[in-house]
Amino acid sequence: MTDLVMEARNVYKAYHSKIKKKEADSCGETPKQVVEAVKNVSLQIRKGDIKLIFGPSGSGKSTFLRCMAMLDIPDKGEIYLGAECLTKPGADLNKARARIGFVFQHIYLFRHLTALGNVELALRQVLKLPKEEARKRALAALTEVKVTDCINKYPAQMSGGQAQRVGIARAIARNPDIILLDEPTSALDPELTGEVIDTLRDLAKEGTTMLIVSHEMPFAREVAEEMIFYDEGKIVETGPPSLFFNAPNTDRAKQFMTRIINRTTRE
Amino acid sequence: MDVWQQLTFLLGGVPLTLSISVLSFLIGIAIGLPLAFVRAYEKEVAFLVSAYEKVFRGVPEIVLMLLFYFGLGPIFPFPFSNAFFVAAFVLGLRSGANQSQIYRGAIRGVGDEQMIAGVSIGLSKWRAIWHIMVPQVFNYSTAGLGSEYALLIKDSAYVYVIGLAELMTKAIQLKSIPPGDFVTPFVLSAVLYIALTFPIAFSLDRWGNKRKKKIGL
Repeated sequence: MTDLVMEARNVYKAYHSKIKKKEADSCGETPKQVVEAVKNVSLQIRKGDIKLIFGPSGSGKSTFLRCMAMLDIPDKGEIYLGAECLTKPGADLNKARARIGFVFQHIYLFRHLTALGNVELALRQVLKLPKEEARKRALAALTEVKVTDCINKYPAQMSGGQAQRVGIARAIARNPDIILLDEPTSALDPELTGEVIDTLRDLAKEGTTMLIVSHEMPFAREVAEEMIFYDEGKIVETGPPSLFFNAPNTDRAKQFMTRIINRTTRE
Repeated sequence: MDVWQQLTFLLGGVPLTLSISVLSFLIGIAIGLPLAFVRAYEKEVAFLVSAYEKVFRGVPEIVLMLLFYFGLGPIFPFPFSNAFFVAAFVLGLRSGANQSQIYRGAIRGVGDEQMIAGVSIGLSKWRAIWHIMVPQVFNYSTAGLGSEYALLIKDSAYVYVIGLAELMTKAIQLKSIPPGDFVTPFVLSAVLYIALTFPIAFSLDRWGNKRKKKIGL
């Protein structure tokens, strides 16, 4: 049990839908449109695990991932990082987030910093490493994701694939316990997803603990130990890739897999 | 006095005009920047910031200068009997209110995602603001800050009411020399005001645009 890196216990998160709220206002009704993005979801991640969450868009996968990193605070339930409960009042969330790497769908690099600056920031300001060591570790991380050619470039000067690899370097440089990746390739041009996938494959080979939201099915099949089908705020089915690629148990997963595999072959 | 003598006399007021404007600009940053972030990220006390902005944008600075210097000066000689302090302080309070609005727009422009990314690497909210938002907010607001600086140079003319010998006071003194030239001193001071505002506002704007392009803001 000691190798448990992260755990979600009955996490629940709902939010108010903004567009619906406006419509409701114009009708003079009380805005009450609530979207339940995460409905009592539980999940355990052990050291070295690579788990992949997939499911229709708008089903709450991203919200769940953000809850894991406490970037969204769950309404109910608990999040554990190792033995530490992050959802109990008084938990040091900044310290916890320093141990969780997060990679965003829309990358969100710090625009005013170069690639090196982006990776160094946490090492200098969060881990408080001396300048030399921070530089060394940042360079090592950037080398690992193979973006040494744009060390001194600003995010606006990079391609999407380069930027996302810098985003991954920013997440791994401080040696977090786990890396959470929220659709790391879905905002990229199709031709650029490959280089990001290669980077993730390298991380997988090194035994990095990862929870990935993604629809890259060939990649999932290759590296994921467990796939998690998520729909309407709930985990519908979990199992090894072979289960999903051959014969998922639930109709909903079957439907979704058929659609996604057809799409992939069409491409 | 010929034109050159008048110009030389007026130039003697420029250092004071400049130092009042620069100091009040800095006071404005020190007030406006924290206020903008409090208003953006501390919803419970945001109304206080909005009240501050309304007061100091609504009351003419000439009223505040007279009030602070002649009203409070005798009661609290330190610091309010110091005309230079009162001038920079009043303009700084007003500028703080203006700058707070400038920065608030910039915070919105920079976007919440940058904050989320900052928090995600383990920075606390206020340290993410300092390391990630503040530099970008300054990049974003150069145009607004340029006009704010120009406004301060211009409004520093009001301090003639509390007797500081800056550009405007000097112009009024010139006009009073018999037989009384009411044109040259004011034309010259107008030219000097333009010379003090335009180049800085312009280069700030240009630098800002270049920088914004570079970092894709």
